[in-house]
Parts: sequence; C-alpha cells; structure tokens
Amino acid sequence: MPGTEKSIEMTKTGLTLGPVLFNWSADRLRDFYARIADEAEVDRVHLGEVVCGKRQPFTDGLWPELIERLQAAGKQVVLSTLALPYNPRERKAVIDFCRAGELAEINDLTALPTVAGKPFVVGPFVNVYNEGAARFLAGRGATGICLPVELPIASVAIIAAALPEVEFELFAFGRLPLALSGRCYHARLHGLHKDGCQFVCDRDPDGLPVDTLDGQRFLAINGIQTLSNGVEAFCPTPDDLARLGVRRLRLSPHTTDMVAVSRLYRALLDGRADRAETLAALKALDLPGELVDGFTRGQPGSARVEMA
Amino acid sequence: MAEHFRGELPRLLRILAAPAGFLPLGPALTLAVRRFARRKPAVFDRLGDYGKCSFLIEPSDLDISFLMVPDGTRAEVKCLRRRAGQTADVTVRGPLLVLLGLLDGTFDGDALFFNRAIAVSGRTDALVALRNAIEDAELTPADFVGATGGLGKLVDRSVIGGLGLARRFTGSPIPGEPS
Amino acid sequence: MSLELVCPAGTPAALRAAVEAGAHSVYCGFRDETNARNFPGLNFSPDELVEGIRFAHAHGAKVLVAINTFAKAGAMDAWKAALANAEKAGADAVILADLAVLDHAATHHPDLRLHLSVQAAAATPEAIAFYADTFGVKRVVMPRVLSVEEIAKLNAAIDVETEAFVFGGLCPMTEGRCSLSSYATGKSPNLTGVCSPPEHVAYSEDRNGTATRLNGFTIDRFGAGEQAGYPTLCKGRFMAGGKTSYLFEDPVSLNAASLIAALAKAGITALKIEGRQRGKGYVTEVVRTFRAAVEAIDAGGTEVEVGRLLAGLVEGGRQTSGAYKKAWR
Repeated sequence: MPGTEKSIEMTKTGLTLGPVLFNWSADRLRDFYARIADEAEVDRVHLGEVVCGKRQPFTDGLWPELIERLQAAGKQVVLSTLALPYNPRERKAVIDFCRAGELAEINDLTALPTVAGKPFVVGPFVNVYNEGAARFLAGRGATGICLPVELPIASVAIIAAALPEVEFELFAFGRLPLALSGRCYHARLHGLHKDGCQFVCDRDPDGLPVDTLDGQRFLAINGIQTLSNGVEAFCPTPDDLARLGVRRLRLSPHTTDMVAVSRLYRALLDGRADRAETLAALKALDLPGELVDGFTRGQPGSARVEMA
Repeated sequence: MAEHFRGELPRLLRILAAPAGFLPLGPALTLAVRRFARRKPAVFDRLGDYGKCSFLIEPSDLDISFLMVPDGTRAEVKCLRRRAGQTADVTVRGPLLVLLGLLDGTFDGDALFFNRAIAVSGRTDALVALRNAIEDAELTPADFVGATGGLGKLVDRSVIGGLGLARRFTGSPIPGEPS
Repeated sequence: MSLELVCPAGTPAALRAAVEAGAHSVYCGFRDETNARNFPGLNFSPDELVEGIRFAHAHGAKVLVAINTFAKAGAMDAWKAALANAEKAGADAVILADLAVLDHAATHHPDLRLHLSVQAAAATPEAIAFYADTFGVKRVVMPRVLSVEEIAKLNAAIDVETEAFVFGGLCPMTEGRCSLSSYATGKSPNLTGVCSPPEHVAYSEDRNGTATRLNGFTIDRFGAGEQAGYPTLCKGRFMAGGKTSYLFEDPVSLNAASLIAALAKAGITALKIEGRQRGKGYVTEVVRTFRAAVEAIDAGGTEVEVGRLLAGLVEGGRQTSGAYKKAWR
C-alpha cells in the first residue's frame, strides 16, 4: 500500500529509552535521568523496575519526581511493569503502576486485565510471535508493541504489515534480555539465598559477565535475569525501517554514555549518519561487550555485527 | 576419548564375536535392513531425511566397523575394516553391547548422552533421530535376522537374555543403576 | 478426588508403554514445530495420534495433545491444522501457550478442552483468570518457579485446575521466557520447539578431555571417565566472577516425589512427568512407580511407605525438588 508507506516515511521514527534493567542506586538513577531529561535525544523514557521485585522498595519513592522531571523536559514517560511478578506485593505493584495515570508497559499478562480497554504498550517480555497475538493485544488497547528480542526479522515485517495501526518497536541497543528465572544467579554465585541476597547484583551495573570454559564471552547475569554478553547494535537505515514497518527503536540503558548513544541513533534515523559511521562511533564507546546483531539478520543472536 | 571403554568384551568373547573371514556380513545386513523396511515402513517415515545420512558404527571391541545408510528399502550396510579412514555424517563408537543397547531400547536419547561409554561425532541430530525412530519400532533381535513366529520369540529370548547376562558380566553400564 | 498422573509419550510405542504402566493421561505432540519437543525422529503423525487415542481410550486413559509453541508469523496453518487434527482424533484436551492459538481454538473449536502450557508462564491469579475468562482454559500447568506454599495460595485464589511437574528434566529458567538457545544457535523452544538442538551439539576431544560445544560455544568440559549431562545450555559449566560452576543449574533432574502429598494438599489436580524424548523403558519404570505412589497416598499411606516405593528412582540419581522448596532460589 503506497499510501501507508508514505505516511510511515513522513513520521519521524521514535526513539525510546527502555527501563534500566540493572540494580542502580536511587542516586545513580536520579543523576542518570536528570541528564537524560536535559540532553538525550529520545522522545520516550520508560521508568520502573522490571527485573526484580525485591529491588522495588529502593526506587519506589523516586519515580514521581522523575516523571515530573522528564515530562517537564518534553519526554513522554511510560511506566514499565515487572516481567515476572508472583508474590502479592509484586502483583500489587504491577496493578498500581498500571493505574498511575501514565502510559503503562505490560511485561506479563498479570497486568492485562488492569490495562484492558485503555491505551497501553507491550514490552519485549510478552510473547508476541505472530500477527494473531499482536491483533489480540491491539484489540485490548495496545497501541505499541516492542517485539521479543529473538523474533526473526521476517516475522517482524509480517506482523507490522498486518497491523499498520500499531506502533511496532524493536530492541536496538544494549545487552539483550534473554531469560528470567525464579532463581537469583547473583545470589547463587555468591553462595547466598535469594531471600537473603544482600542485593549483591548492585555490584554489576551492566551485569556480571559469564564466560565459557574456553574463555569465550557468552552471557551476563543480572539477578534473576540472564542477558547476552554481546551488546545488540541494530543500526538500520530509515528505508530498512520503512520496509519493516517498524516505527520505534529501543535503547536499553547501560553505564556507557547513553546521551551519546541516543544522539548516534537519532542521527542514523534522520539520515544524517550512515550505518558504518554509527557502528564505528558506537564501537568507540565504553561498552560491556562486543557488538552483535544476529537476531536482526536471521542468525543466532550472538552473531557479531559486520562492520563493512 | 579413552581407548578402553567400560563394558568392553573380554578377549575371549571378542574372538568369538569376530566374523569369520569370508562371511559376507555387509550384504546380509543390507538385506536384513531392507526386509525390515518393507515390514515396518513407519520407522523410516519417522526417520525422514535422516534416512539419507550415513552412520559409521564402530564397536570399540571389534576389528570391524559398519557404514549404514538406513534409507528404507534402498538401505545399505557395508562392513569395513577398522581404521579404514571412512568418513560419515555421524560416527558413533563404543563397546558392542552398549551399541546394541541403542537398538534394543535399553538406552534412550537422553541416556545416550549421559552415558559417556559412547563417543559421538558429526551430526548428533541424525543419531538422535535414528535412536528415536528405532525406539518406536519396538525392535527385537528377531527383526534383525528376519525371524518370525515361534522362531522369532526364541531368538528374542535367547539374545535378550544373553545380552543382559553379558552386560552384567562385562560391567557394561545398565541404565537406572547408579554408575 | 484422586491425583491424575500425566505422562509423556514421544512415540506411539511410549504411549502404549505409559498407558500399560498406569498413566491416567498421556501427553504427546505432532511431528512438527507445533510442539515444544520437536526433536528429530520423535512425535506423532495425525494417523498415529488417532491410533494412539483409540488405544488409550480403550484402556481408560486420556490423551492431551501439546500444541504449545508460538505460531510463526504469517504461517499459522500448521497450528490450525494441529488443533483440527487433535479434535478430529478425539483428544481429551490440547495444551496451548500462544495467544493466537488460544484465540483460534476458543473461537473455532469451542468443544475442545483447553489447558494452558507451562510455556505460557502464567504464575499469578490475575494472569490465570485472564486465560480462564478469555479462552475458557480449564487447567493451567504451573510454571516451575513456584514453591509448594505459593501453589497452595495460588490455588486458593483461582478456580481452574492446576497441574505440576514432579519428575524429569528441569528448566531453571521460566519456560516460555527464555531465548538462551536462540542466542547461541538461532533455534529456541518458542521459535522452533527445541532447546540446545542436537544438530548444533558437537563433542571434541583435546588434551584437556572432551569439550561439549553448542554452535561453537563451549558449554562444558569433561575429563576421561567423568559423567556428562545432556548438553543443554543452562546446565553447562561457566566462569563468572572468577568462579567456575554450574551457574544456572547443576546437571540434575527434578524429583518432587517426596512432595506429592504436599502438592495434593496444595490443591493440585494433576502430576506431570517430563520426558517425551525418553525411551519406553524409562517411561514404564517412572510411570509405574509414580502410579503406585499416588495410590498409596490415596489410600492414606504414610510418607515412609511412599518413600520406599520411590526409592528406586531416587537412588544414585542427581536430583532436586527444584523451586517447590524455596531454598532452590
């Protein structure tokens, strides 16, 4: 449909700063978001703890002031909910976030009955692998869907084409969130029990690298979460995105200079920089792992970015 | 991989198990597999494209090995001298009794890996497919020699009983028992 | 109401073995990407399912058909055909995970009983109520992250049946939420119904013993004579924080046999045994043993009696009661 394509081309591709996945202190988060508010070239910022319910009490009090700070700077704020809630406090936190009056991102279907009927967005932890699942969620009010990281790029195009009214988003930058568990790997590694974990995950603000016995860089742990060691760097051209029907990219926060990352992506999406320049500039940043982009090329996710 | 596997045949048995000099074992086995494919085509449907894979089976306690392409009624088995430098899609090596355990259902796909008496190289998926296809065939030793009826039962009883005894005798791993 | 024993069947022969060994129900899948045990050589053709269901029903057992992967975008026909074939064959229920497949089943197969697969990872009353209210799901397979206490509380808050894994392979990750396998190999449970697919497994020997590699990533190493686990990514040995360990899970399997009575008290309807990739011998032994244990519990048997029945399965094995005991976390 040429008409649809045109309207996509004319809309500026959105840039999202995803939720911080790691156990950062309240002070660190406050400083981080202050700089994001003032300098980052993202139009949407996600706040909230999505990985571990035990971390929530440390940051709960922080969100109201950050919402205000970011909104005052012209950013749209989305509240991201927990990906694996199960105890009553965590379930209540999910529901409270959904009712807070801001746009909510659901990362587990626990939140669906609360948000159904009003606009909401769907995070990459919800299994949307086909147009049927996307249509179902859109029918309940989903206006945007950040697709699962392992979804083949061919599927992305098919899903987006089936639902032009939904804003599809891809995870473009950062260590890939690969798995969640009931078990805390930081606690296990430190010989602790999850219930008495001493919050040791705060020692690794980008996750703790997991190498193979032959010294290959492989994965990273972040409490109950397992991420890739490699840093996803999906750097499409505006034409690529128009073809895919993707209207938003997500940058996942790391300790590296995220303002710089946002500027590089903005320039790429606006056609002011090409892929090679963007990748070279990303590579020059202080990153926790090699650049990978296999999932966006129909390869294993660990496949390295080809710079040429 | 260690040269000496647990469960290897003692020297005496090894001599007894060795094929007689001029026995055309390859053609006989080819015939047996093809006959089996005519009787139980479902096994080969289950195998799908893996039927076209070549399987090199090397009993570590015999001086011969077998190259098999289990392609239904076009199946082929060759009997080779050991260390003939033959290549195949998948090579599986281990004591004869353990290899037979793959066929008669003693070992399943998981046990195959747990049990390091067997060394697998090449296309592991092909071996898993073969193992799973055989599993469903409810294969008995009689199937290999094409015996049916009362004779088949007799063959099964004696071979299975013999295998069980031999396994215990040689200390070959028996699934379900601590090892 | 007595506990229902739900047993695995990777092949028609395993189905017959499970039924003869005393399974109340058997679960199986079609030989394609619609089920989460899409291993080479395994599973059922539509005709084999018809035959298997006939056999099971003649022996008073039920057959549950797992169609529990996520349908591929633009190619839902295989999943639609699986639902239609399962209903036509007379399946007692289908086990589903994908919203699209659930939606299709609820709309086009209203008489088909729906169970929610563990792959859907529904662990809260809200999520379970959503599946029950929206699609009419009658039973939920509990994610393997909940403790017995949590299952009891959950059962008090929902009004659908629950089924819990008690024996066999154990995923330390929340099932349906894991892309580790596709990160390493491009294939994963959600995408293609396989984890750590055998075609990417390779063993290589060097001076330091045998290395198990998954598409080039070393997931474990063994010295001569050391026992190897099935080469599953999350059960490998890795280095993190200066330590070498089975970081995610030891090479153990789940055995919650000692918790059967507790699970029954927690309101569980059915006990599930994992292992569609396992052989007839394994299925027969495990099913027979669990059936005896379930009957002993029904008859008011003591923990000691039940423990004695299960001793054979426990002995020598490397097993864990998993998340059912909170210390696992």
